Order: sequence, then structure tokens, then C-alpha cells
Amino acid sequence: MRKNSLSKMFIVMIILIFAGSALFAGGQKDGKSAKANDARFNVGFTTEEAISTLIPDESWQYVEMGCIFWPLVYDQLWVMGPAPDYKPVPMLATSWETEDNQTWIFHLRKDAKFHDGVAVTAEDVAFTLEYFPASDPAWEYEDTDCEDIQVIDDYTIQFTLSAKHGGDYPPVYWTPILPKHIWEDYKDDMHSFNNDDAIGSGPFHLKEFQSEQYIWLESNEDYWGNVPEAKTVVLKTYGSSEAEYMALKKGEIDMIGYNSIDPLALDGFKGVDGVEVKIDPGITIDWLSFNLHKENAISDLNVRKAIMYGIDTERLISLAFLGYADPADSFMYTELPDHNPNLPQFDYNVSKAKSILAGAGYKDTDGDGIVNDPKSGDNLVFELLGPSDWTMEVKMITLIKEQMKDIGIEISPKIVDLDTYYEFWYAPEEDSFDISIGNEEPGPHADWIWEFARSWDNGGEGWNCAYYNNAEFDEYLDDMAEQSDIDARRADLYKMQEILANDLPYGFLLRYKSINPVRSDKFTGYTSTMGGVSTWINPWSYYNVKPVK
Amino acid sequence: MSDISLNNKQKKTKIRRQKIKDFISLLINHRMGKVGVGVIIFFLFIAFAAPLLRTVNPHQSGNAVEILIPPDGQFWFGTDDLGRDVWSQVIYGSRISLLIGFISALATILTGTLVGIIAGFYGGIIEEILMRIVDFFMMLPALPLMIVLAAVLGPSIWNIIFVVSLISWPTTARVVRSQILSLKERPFIEASRCIGASNSLLMFGEIFPNVVPILFAEAVIMITEAIYAEAVLSFLGLGDPVRMSWGSMLHFAFDSGVMARAPWWVLPPILSIILLIVGFSFLGTAVSDVLKPGYKETKGL
Amino acid sequence: MKTIQFFLKKLTGAFITIFAIIVANFVIFRIAPGDPIRMMFHDPRVSAEQIKAMQIKFGLDKSLWGQFIDYFKQLMKGDMGFSFWQKRPVIEVIGDRIGHTLILVVTALIIATIIGILLGAIAGWKNGSKTDRSILSVSLVLYSIPTFAMGILLLLIFAYVLSIFPLGGISTPASGFTGFMYIKDVIWHLILPAFSIILWYIGEYILMTRSSMVEVLDQDYIVTARTKGLRESTILRKHALRNALLPVVTLSGVNFAFAIAGVIEAETVFSWPGIGRLTYDAVMKRDYPLLQGIFLLFAVSVVLANFLVDLIYSRIDPRIKTGDVNV
Repeated sequence: MRKNSLSKMFIVMIILIFAGSALFAGGQKDGKSAKANDARFNVGFTTEEAISTLIPDESWQYVEMGCIFWPLVYDQLWVMGPAPDYKPVPMLATSWETEDNQTWIFHLRKDAKFHDGVAVTAEDVAFTLEYFPASDPAWEYEDTDCEDIQVIDDYTIQFTLSAKHGGDYPPVYWTPILPKHIWEDYKDDMHSFNNDDAIGSGPFHLKEFQSEQYIWLESNEDYWGNVPEAKTVVLKTYGSSEAEYMALKKGEIDMIGYNSIDPLALDGFKGVDGVEVKIDPGITIDWLSFNLHKENAISDLNVRKAIMYGIDTERLISLAFLGYADPADSFMYTELPDHNPNLPQFDYNVSKAKSILAGAGYKDTDGDGIVNDPKSGDNLVFELLGPSDWTMEVKMITLIKEQMKDIGIEISPKIVDLDTYYEFWYAPEEDSFDISIGNEEPGPHADWIWEFARSWDNGGEGWNCAYYNNAEFDEYLDDMAEQSDIDARRADLYKMQEILANDLPYGFLLRYKSINPVRSDKFTGYTSTMGGVSTWINPWSYYNVKPVK
Repeated sequence: MSDISLNNKQKKTKIRRQKIKDFISLLINHRMGKVGVGVIIFFLFIAFAAPLLRTVNPHQSGNAVEILIPPDGQFWFGTDDLGRDVWSQVIYGSRISLLIGFISALATILTGTLVGIIAGFYGGIIEEILMRIVDFFMMLPALPLMIVLAAVLGPSIWNIIFVVSLISWPTTARVVRSQILSLKERPFIEASRCIGASNSLLMFGEIFPNVVPILFAEAVIMITEAIYAEAVLSFLGLGDPVRMSWGSMLHFAFDSGVMARAPWWVLPPILSIILLIVGFSFLGTAVSDVLKPGYKETKGL
Repeated sequence: MKTIQFFLKKLTGAFITIFAIIVANFVIFRIAPGDPIRMMFHDPRVSAEQIKAMQIKFGLDKSLWGQFIDYFKQLMKGDMGFSFWQKRPVIEVIGDRIGHTLILVVTALIIATIIGILLGAIAGWKNGSKTDRSILSVSLVLYSIPTFAMGILLLLIFAYVLSIFPLGGISTPASGFTGFMYIKDVIWHLILPAFSIILWYIGEYILMTRSSMVEVLDQDYIVTARTKGLRESTILRKHALRNALLPVVTLSGVNFAFAIAGVIEAETVFSWPGIGRLTYDAVMKRDYPLLQGIFLLFAVSVVLANFLVDLIYSRIDPRIKTGDVNV
């Protein structure tokens, strides 16, 4: 009897829900027909990837939606071209010249205008170069660090860097040019200006911004270059990656906003009408950082070597990434010519790992399966730090914990939220971890990534999360940054990679592929680079997509 | 004198034993009590017998081909995104929920009772201060505060127990205090006071036994709340990363991006949480029914 | 005289509690590990000078005591500070979100109250009957289902599998809807998250109303009314219902204040951009000023609601004033 009433209640509830849905199904249809009218290119992000303001601080380079928004709305002097060459492509600058790699002259195009109609001039560039490094440390890079800036005429600017800048690419990479006439009043405090209108000079202008919900862009019909065919671009936010994937299957979005989907979700896109799956080489490199500042067994090179031999990278790849990843042995991608092909490899080998440990005196003296530190007699237990937001890395930590057990090392996972994680990374005094899992997206032009290994007490502070010190490495690094000669640079880079592989401040693990389902029934012209169709180095899909007639 | 008191004591124990027996039989005869006790015994059995229930190490990853496979003969509840056995995770998860439920309830009841008895017994400024603190805690928004504390203290099972207890003790303190206030006026306390019983003897010898039934009801409610709190915190990703609980299973499933494809990974923990909480809620209702004055008589008819 | 005394006592109590909350939430966030300035930059390369400059800007260079004085002074001026994470005034950040939460909570609570009171009153009236037992069991079950679990089930079934409802959010992004279309769109997004909250509160309201009803029916005046031979429906309408509902309706005021703090689960599952989700993000970003603002808001609304309830109760039941009965 009670069961009866219970089920009656639930039936009533379900009927209520359906009644509600019938009432509002109309709303859904209207929404769809509105979308069909224009060439609207919808792109999905998760809430964690969304930006909350349009202030150009960390959102420019640390928040995924920011990495997409800024290059679309703000022009840069030059941008990195698409795959496979990744050549510098002039944007606001038409050409540049230098004699000594230190003083640079940039010539600007004369037909560029901000969205409010004001012309882009050298004054704006000079303002931007002065403004950014002074406003936020996120903007301090050697290639924007100027000693002297001179506006020669409206369309020519000359500046002198504080250090020479070599290599294939000109300086002032990845810097949006701001309109001086709008920002000047706020130049002393970046955070006093909300930038709600986001006036830039890029191929798209802002129509509406809803904090952490969506960004609605429209193509800039007065753009100096090709006006994008996607007349409207909407960057939308979803509460979880699953909702985002569902939205793509339903056609609510046409592309995933950043990097890659979880390989587990790939199956779900196979055979979905109108969806094509693109698989590209990855941009993210995952590694282990060993805390060399901490004076315990982790600072023993033998222990680090044993750990590297004990990690079964193939198993990490097959379980956490379902095979969609490649092993990595350096900050440099294997296919690039600057990658040193002769680096020592740590192929999975349990007995070798064990014998290295035993040879260095680490033996299981108390018979509990975990080896003991000969100095203290304690079990070899390491804290492995990782952020809870990184689903893949959490899986890798779980697997590494299992594998370390096989060589007699106990791993105690320390999973914290992302902000605490970064805080722990760069707090040597507290020594909040023994090993931490890390990743970065170096991209093809990645001189900056080597700062991760610059000596801690020689300018590496705040980069170097292994607290590694090696003056020899610093010399090669400084020379590499200044060199224009390709062969000399390469020799430096080879040497640097070799030093890191031998000293093991970082143990490189893998590089996962970018898996991107896209709506091919609505748009064509998706452009792939490493990292997929939409990353910080790839705004090209947004410029190139065309609606299917 | 000593002979008589010994006799008295024996008599008291006897009466008490009889009372407990009555209480339990009433509880079991109560419809909801029956269901509640049944469910709880079921989960207790599962938790204790976990290794015997064809479980494997719930954290041991499988092979690539064993990822997200639906329920079959080998994996009764299928596998998760690392090929781990969902059945084993659910079974072992009951240990975490029960452990957190019981320990938090114990800590809550101990603190709450102590504060409640002291406040109610001494009265005056002590009561004023203690009750002000209790009021203060009851004003705080529980869930946001638990999230803050769990994030600040770091993820571990003991921190969750600490956080849950810290938030819940004031309710018990309030209930106990009001109970004491009415007990204090009873003649038997006056009588003991007259024959020179010390304060601590009065508090714990005479008053405390009379609060025990109420405490039992409170404890059941606290267990429900602790289990609920653990599930929410773990779901939000603030759970213990080394021990897979029902809440953290849901956290991983929700984050995996393939929840809809693997209902076997989602439904068992959800249903387990609901069933266990329902069990304790039913028991709680039954206990408060049985404790009502006059319940025995109406049932006796 | 007694009324004024009682009022003053409760008022001082409320102020002391709010002050204690201000102190507590200042302290809790400062003993948390993690340096907010570093998290603010989100960039490892900040120099010591830049950190210093920021510390001065936000007054974090001062002693804890100095920081507290600053914070308190600010509060007195009605300034809740500057969010580290969003880099704008806290009041603005909260203002952006609070409306969304209110829509969700108010809708859910109104519906839950109506259904809950109705079923609870029936159960209480027919205390001990079969109807009572089934309503009681259903309400206990509903009350036992965590909101997030209910949310996941609803989302899974009605959005993922059946595709009847949206996948989350508060409105269709960049729809350009205005007026009635926009309202319709919001309601369509509101249904699932509201439902996940409603079901839980229905359970709570049934339990509350039922026990209040049972208590009232035991009172002398009902017994008297019955012996007088009044019709059952008259007793129900004129005596029982009115008296039973009074505490329930009053308590729903307090409930409302707590509900705002409790929507974190539903907002997380349905990515509803409200205050609950904001709290969670603020914890994760160690955004002290924002958290302090949110907590103050929660606490003040709870204290205020309690204060009002105390006042109303004191009018209903004069014994409370003299301190004989504790609410």
C-alpha cells in the first residue's frame, strides 16, 4: 500500500516535469531558429576555462577563454603563423629590422583602425610597451623589456631591449596593442579600468560580455585584412566538460574552445551526423618536477633515475589517454629540428630501477616492501603534488603511485586545488612537496620555457619549480637567447637538453594529442596546429571558418 | 548505608536494563524503525564483510581494455575510467560513510553534551557565554563554512570528520541544555543535592542518564548529517584523494565527461548514499516517536 | 517595558553575533595556507618588489591587527573591499550574482512551501493513518536525497538522455532575447535546478508542518472544540490549520536565509551563475575579501531572519519574553 502511494507521488512529479517541458519546449525551438539565421560560430568552454573580467592581466595567458578572446579582438604586431612552418606573420607591423638584435625598428600599417574609428599609430604601440610590463608581472618577458622607446613617426617605432633578442622570431610576441586614447587615463592602475567595451583593432569586435557566461563577438567589417566569414562568434560556457560535449553533439556549439577533449569521450562522437573528429599533435608536455631544495632522498640523482626507470609511460598513455599520447623526453617537441635526438632514455625497467636503488644503499631493511633511506632508516615515502582540476594528471598520479610501489617507493598523493598547487610550487621555504606533476604548453616558439631550469638564485626564481641550480646551464641559456645564428642556437639547445636529461631536475613524461570533434555540417575551414583547432597559438580557425551553404 | 546503596544501584541497573529492552523492542516494532534498522544492519554487514564480498582493491587500476566496461560476470557493477572495479568501490565506500557518520556523531554528541550539561547545570554567566557561542555557531551558514574549512585544512578523512563535528555540535548542546533545565527542577535532583552529592556526581551520575535517550535520537540525526556532508564535500572535490568514497566516485564521474555513457558508475553510489541516509532518517523518526511520552501506552492498546 | 528590554537584549545579541562573525571570518581566511598575492598574480615570476607593492595596495603589509582595523573601518563605511580574483569591488561581484540566486531560491521555496504545507497538513490531520504514513515516508526519502545527487539524476535523465531541458546555465547564451522571450528562456533553464531544490524542501516542509499539526491537535482548545461537536472541517480550517501554520511560515523566513547559502550544490551541478557557485570559486581562489563579503551577507541575513522570528514569536507566545521558553 505504501509503495503504491510512493509511486503515485513520483508519477505526479514526473508528469509535472513533462508538463513544464511541454510549456517551454516552444522557447527551445525559437532559440534554434534564431541561430539558423546568421553565420553564427559557437564555441564551447567549461566554467573553469571562462574569464570573469576583460582586464588584461592573467586572463590573457592563464585562462583558456582569455587566450582565445584577446587575439580575436586585439591585433598584435605579428603573430605566429599556422602549421607546419609556424613562421612569423606581420599583422599591425608590416616589417621590422635590427642590426644588433637589441635595437629594433617596426614599421606599421597605415590602414588599421580601432573599433571606435581611431587610427592605430606608433603612439599606441609605444604606450602598450610601456604600460604592460609596468602593470602586471605576467607581462614581463625579455622580448618586451625595453630600455628605451622612441616614436619616429606615426607609423614607425624604435625600441631598445635590455638584452639581445635572437632566434627566428622578432620581439614583442603575444602582445595585444591597446588604444592609448582609451587606456591613458587608467595607466597607473590596470585594475581601475574594467575594459567593458574592449575596444581593439582585431578582426572581431565585442558585442556583449557576460562574466563567466559568454562572450558575443561580431566580425569587424572595417578590418584592414580579410573580414572573417563567421559574422558572429559566441564563446559559451558550460558547467562541465560533459555538458560541453553534449552541446556539440546537439549542434549547440561547433567546436571545443581549448586544446582537446578527454580521449574517453571520443567514442561518443564516432558516427554522430555532421561531426568530424580531428586529431592533431599535442601542445602540452607533462613532466615531474623534483624538489631539489628539499634535503631528502629526492635530491639523490640515483633515486630520481630509479623513479624514471620505474615509470611505465606506455601504461600511462594507454590507460589515462587511451593511447592518444606520445612519450616526451624534453621541453622541446620531438619533431622540431632543435630537439636533441640523442638524449638518454629511461625505458620502463623495474629491475634496473631496483638495482639503482639498491646500489645507492636504498634497501628494504624492515621487510615492509618499501625501501629504507640508508641515512635515516625511514621508509622512502614521497609526496606527489597535483591539482584536482587536472583530471588527466590526477589519473597519472594514481598510476604512478601503483608503479612506484613495484620498485619499493611509496607515493603519497597530495591533491589540492589549482591555485594552492601553484602556490606550493613556488614556495621553497615551505617545501610543500617532494615531487609534483607539471605541464606547460610551450608552442613552437618557446625560448621562455627554458627559464624553468634557469638557476634558482640566478633569476630562475618564480619559474624554476625544481629549485635547480646549474651555472653552466645558465650560460648556454643566455647565449641561446641572444644568438641569431641558427646552428649556434641549436648547439646551445642540444647542450641544454642534454644537461637536463642528465641532472634530472625534471622527469619528462608525455605529450598528449589534441582530439577535436568539430561540426563539419555547419562550417568548413577548421585550421589545425599542434594543440588542435583552437589554442593560444591558434586563432586561425576563427579567421578561416566558412559557413556551409 | 553502603549495603542499601549497593542494593539501590542494582535495582537501578535492573530497571535501566529493562527500559533499554523495552525501548529496543518498541523500536523494532515501529514500522519505520524496522526498515531503518534493517538498512543500517545491511550496510554494517557490507562494511565489515567487504573483503569477503568478492571485492578487489578498489583503487587498483585495470588494463586498457577494462576501461568503462558495463556490468558483467566479472565486474558486477562495471568499471570506471581507470578500469577500477565499481562494485568494490561501492562496498568499500560504505566503510568511509559509516566511519565518518559514527565518529562525527560521537564527537558531536560528546562536545554537545558536555557544553549542554555545563551550561544547563551551572546557569548564570557560564550559561550565557556558552549559549552565546552556540548561537554564534548556529548562525553560520553550514555548507559554505564546511567548504572553506575543508579547503583550508586540506583533503583528508579526519579533516572532514573534524569539520562536520565542528559545525554540528551546537544543536546537541541546545537540546541537552533545555533537557537539563527541566530536569534540574525535578525532586530527585533536589533530594540528591540535599544529601550532599557533589556537582560532578549530580551532573554525570543523576542527570546524564536521563539525557541518554534524547542523545540517542540526536546521534542518529548527526550520523545522517555527517554522511550527507561527506558526500557533498567529496562531490565538490574536497574529499580524501587516497580513499574512494561514494561522494568522490560521483566527483570523478561528474568530471569524467562520460557520465551519461556509464550509468553503472553513477547510480550505485547515488543509490547507496540515499539508501543509507534514508535508513538513518527512518530510524531517527522511529526513535523520536518511541521517546514520546505515552507512546508505549498507545502501542500497548 | 519588558518588550523593550527583550527587544534590546535580542538586538545586542544580534550585533554581538555579527561582530563575532566579522572577526571569525577575518581570522579563518588568514590562517589558510596560500599567499593571496601570489594567487592574485597567478604568475610565478612576480618579483619581491611587485609583491610588496601589491601588499601595500591591499593593506596586507600591515600587522593582522592593523588589517583588521582597516577592514572594520571599511565595513563601517559600507565598503566590502576589493576582490583579489575578479579585481573589482566585492559589492559589484556579489551584486552581479545575487539576483540569479534569488530567482532560483525564491521560486523553489515558494513552490516547496505550498506543496509541503499542503501535504504536511494532510498527514498531520490524519495522523497515524495510511495516508500519513505514506506521506511521511515519501518526505523522509526526499529529505534524505542530497540535492547534488538529485541534480545529477535530473540532469542525466532530462538534459543528457532525453534532451528536454538545457545543459545548464541561466539563459541561452547570446540569444538576443528580450522581454517575454527572455523570461521564458530563463524559466526553461530554471526548471531542473529549481526542481532539485524543491524536492528536498518539500520533504522538509512536510515534516515541519506535520509535527506542528500533530502538536496543535493535542492542544486543549482542539479537544474542547471537538467535545463541543464542531464539524471536523471547521476545526481544521478555523483552529488547527491556522495555529499549526504560524510557526512553519515564520520558520520559512529563517529557512530562506539558510537556503541562499545552501544552493551551492544545485548551482554547481547546473552551472547556475549564482552566489553559491561564487562562494566555491572564491574559496578555491583564496579571495579573502570576496569570501568575507559573502559570509557577512549570509550571516547578516540569517541573524536578521532569526531576530525577526524572535520578535514575532514573542508576540505570539508571551512566555518567551520572560525567558521561560527557548525558541
